[in-house]
Amino acid sequence: MQAEGTGDKYEAIETGKGAASTPKKADDRSTAFQATEGGRPMQSGEKLLVEAYAAIWIITLVFIASIFRRQKRVDRRIAALEVALEKARDRGGAP
Amino acid sequence: MAMNEPVASQATEGGGSARAAERVFYALVLLAAIAFAFTLHVVFFKAPVEATMGIVQKIFYFHVPAAISMYLGAAACFVGSAGYLARGTSRWDALARSGAEVAVVMGLMVLVSGPLWAAKAWGVYWTWDPRLTTSMLSVLVYVSYVVLRSFAGDGDAERKFAAALGVLGAANLPIIHYSVQKWGGNHPTVISSGGGGLGHPDMKLGLNLGFVTFALLTALLIWSRYRLEVAKNRLQEIEEEALELGLGEE
Repeated sequence: MQAEGTGDKYEAIETGKGAASTPKKADDRSTAFQATEGGRPMQSGEKLLVEAYAAIWIITLVFIASIFRRQKRVDRRIAALEVALEKARDRGGAP
Repeated sequence: MAMNEPVASQATEGGGSARAAERVFYALVLLAAIAFAFTLHVVFFKAPVEATMGIVQKIFYFHVPAAISMYLGAAACFVGSAGYLARGTSRWDALARSGAEVAVVMGLMVLVSGPLWAAKAWGVYWTWDPRLTTSMLSVLVYVSYVVLRSFAGDGDAERKFAAALGVLGAANLPIIHYSVQKWGGNHPTVISSGGGGLGHPDMKLGLNLGFVTFALLTALLIWSRYRLEVAKNRLQEIEEEALELGLGEE
């Protein structure tokens, strides 16, 4: 069974007509509040959205920084070895 | 590898094409940055809020493209692995390794952003839904690949073993894709076959821009990681040449 609002179509809110859950008649309104037993508290959509986007950016930036750091290290090592090899060749083989 | 060839002469070979590739790379970086900015603008300022879920639905514009990008990384790993098994050259292996790492990165994005959306929509972060389970399985396959390459050495046998994993790991990708149709579950099917689609043109624009942006990002990440792997292979060649010349630990 699919949870409400997670089906196969996403619809936009029509601005100016109020929320989709606005009761049509006075009788449709809640007349009492009941506590859930063992239920989860409602989470803020804004907070979850910010957390998701922050996670995406952090994962991307950490990966890019890791590649950059490793590339720098390899480049430095290559440059140092090339200089050493050049000197060794000029000396005609073994140092 | 031609180990007797002087390294300096190898470095000058193809210098012009390397510079051209460098220019294309930085042009792609610029393009990706512009695409990211434009996508964020459309997603947050143009695409309307979804009627039943509210603002949390906007996770969708990056969650789905990240999932497709995971497929792209996995496809690169598959192609590189198959190429390495067929040809045995280090460049195919570099492509496979790059693809696997990018698949892990994109898979992590999917596995983080999806549960954050589910927390609001389903009331739970995780459920053993077929698509969620098969997606996690795929990410674990590529994590295994990365761990194997990091700790099992870099010999031909280890590369072939990893290549076999890269080829076999791709078998799970169609299972992820068709799991919703075959086994049902809670996962929405908004844009796949049988889905109702997006109800507003700006929602469609946001998603399509997300696809373009993530495709560019994936290409750049695979390319960057591939360049690093090629540089590491070159470092290995130079180190071997240095040892041949008796440079020792210098």
